[in-house]
Amino acid sequence: MNKKIIAATFVSSVFSLQVSASIPDASPKELQLTVPVPAQVCVSCHGAQGQGLEVAGPKLAGLSASYMVKQIKLFQIGQRQSPLMQPMAMTVQGDNIQVAADYFASQVADDVTLRYRGDKVVIEDPAEKLAYQGDWARDIPACFTCHGPSGAGAELFPRLAGQQASYIKSQLEAWQKGTRKGDADNMMGNVASKLTATEINALAHYFASLK
Amino acid sequence: MKFQLNIILGAAALFSLNMSAVVIATELPDSQHALPSVPKQADPIYIQPAALSDIPTGEFGDKVRLGYQLFVNTQQLRDKYVGNQLNCVNCHLNAGNKANASPLWGAYFAYPAYRKKNDKVNSFEERLQGCFTYSMNGKAPESGSKELVALSAYSYWLGMSGLMLQHNVAGPVPELSDSELVKGAKRDDFILPEAISSKMDQNALAQLPGRGYPAVPKAEQAYSPERGLIVYQAHCQSCHGEDGQGQIIAGVAALPPVWGPQSFNWGAGMHRVNTAADFIYENMPLGKSVQLTPQQAWDVAAYINSQDRPQDPRFKGNVPETQSQYHQHDGFYGQSVAGTVLGSASSANFPKK
Repeated sequence: MNKKIIAATFVSSVFSLQVSASIPDASPKELQLTVPVPAQVCVSCHGAQGQGLEVAGPKLAGLSASYMVKQIKLFQIGQRQSPLMQPMAMTVQGDNIQVAADYFASQVADDVTLRYRGDKVVIEDPAEKLAYQGDWARDIPACFTCHGPSGAGAELFPRLAGQQASYIKSQLEAWQKGTRKGDADNMMGNVASKLTATEINALAHYFASLK
Repeated sequence: MKFQLNIILGAAALFSLNMSAVVIATELPDSQHALPSVPKQADPIYIQPAALSDIPTGEFGDKVRLGYQLFVNTQQLRDKYVGNQLNCVNCHLNAGNKANASPLWGAYFAYPAYRKKNDKVNSFEERLQGCFTYSMNGKAPESGSKELVALSAYSYWLGMSGLMLQHNVAGPVPELSDSELVKGAKRDDFILPEAISSKMDQNALAQLPGRGYPAVPKAEQAYSPERGLIVYQAHCQSCHGEDGQGQIIAGVAALPPVWGPQSFNWGAGMHRVNTAADFIYENMPLGKSVQLTPQQAWDVAAYINSQDRPQDPRFKGNVPETQSQYHQHDGFYGQSVAGTVLGSASSANFPKK
C-alpha cells in the first residue's frame, strides 16, 4: 500500500500537467464506476480507455491480455526496466494482474487498414520495406512476419500500428541494449541489434503512422 | 529402435517402391520425392537476384510480379488451389530468395528433371503442382494456368537476374514465352547468355550453391519425439503455438501451423523427419537468434512430424498399403503414436475454408 502511494505520488508529480489534461471526459467518480479497481492505477498514464498518453504511457488498447499480463510480470522481475512502470507494476499483484489486463484488452483500438505481404511489390520507403520484406542480407525477417499484416498484432506479438513513435523507439533501443528481455531465445533482441539508429527512428514513425 | 525398424522396412520394400513410383506418375503429377539435401560447402558463393524494383514494366514483368505476390501471399488462392493456411514463403524464406531455404532460383535451373525411378521427365510446373497438392494440401492449378506461369516467371527471373549479375551480363533478363517458362531451365534449348554458358554447363546450373536445404549433421542418438517436445517448448512454441497451430493475426496465419488440418499433408516433403530437420537446423528460429544442435533439430523434427496432419492424397482407404507404397523413409505415417495409427484418422485433403 505504501509503495503504491509513493509510486503514484512520483508519477503525478512528474506528469501532473499531462495527467490533468488527460482525463477530460470522466470525473474521478465516473472512472471508479467504469474502470475496475485493479486497472485504475494505470489510467493516469495509459488513459481510461488505454488510449495512451504521449511520453507518460503507451497505448494499451489493441494489446492482448496475455501480452499485458506477461509485461507486468517482466517489469516486476526487472526484465523490463522503467523508473515509472516498475514500481507501478509492483502495485498490481495476483489475480488483479489479469483483471487489469482484461480491462485494457477489451478496449477498442483505432481501425487500421490491413495491408498484406505482397500487396506492394516495390516498396520505396525503407521502414515499410523492412516491415514487409525484412533485410535478409542481415538476417532480418520482415517485422510483419510476427506482428501480422499492418502490424495489427495478436497474443504475444504486440500491435505496432498506431503505437506512439517515442515508445517504439525507446523499446527498440531497450531490446538493442539488452535492458528489455523476456521473449523466447531473444528473438526480438536479435533483430533489434541489427538495426541502425536511423532505421529505428524510421520504423518508429512508420508504425505510429499506420491507420 | 523405431529408426532402425524404418531402415529394415525400407530395404525390404525396395521392390514395392519401384512399383509405386509408376503408379504415382499416372495418378498424380508429382511423386514428391525427397527434397534435395545438399552437403553445405565451406565457402559458398550464392547468386544474388536483382531487386524487385528491377522487374521490367510490361506483360512479362507483370507475370513476374504476380508470381512474387502469389508466393508471399498464397492465401489469395485459398479454396481455389490452397486447402490450408500456409504460404509458399513459409518454407522458402525471403520470398524464395534465401540460399539454403530451397530458393526458387536453385530449383528453376534443376528442372526439367529426369527421374530414373519412373522414367519420366518432370517439368518445373509439374513440381509446382506437387507443392499445391501436398504442401498446400490443395488442388494443383492446371498446366499452363496463369498461376503456374506467374510462379515460373518469378523463379526464372530470380535465377536469371542473379546469374547475369554474377557474370556481369548487362541488360534486362531475356523474356520467355509462357510455354517456355513453365518447363524450367535444364534443357538444351534454353537460351543462356554466352558469358554464363561458357562458364557453367547445365549440370553446374542445376546444382547452384545454396539450392535445397543443406544436410543437417548426423545426431549421436536416434531421433526422439519425446526429447523433441522439450526442444519445441523451449524454442518453437512461442511462434508456432503449444498446439502447433501457428499465430493467426487479422485472419491470416502470420506464423504457420506446423501440424494439424491447416498444415502440409502426409505427402509433402516436409513431413519427412530428415527434410524437416535439414530445414530447422539451417533456418530456425527465424532470423537465427539461437543455433539448435543437430540432435535438437532431429528430435524436434520428429516431434512435429509425429503429430497428425491432412491425409496423404495418394491414400486409397488402406493406411498400411499407403505406408508401404509411399512411406518407406524417415516419417511417422502408419505408425502408432499415443495409441493412434497416424493416417487412420487424418483430416481431409483440400477442405474448404
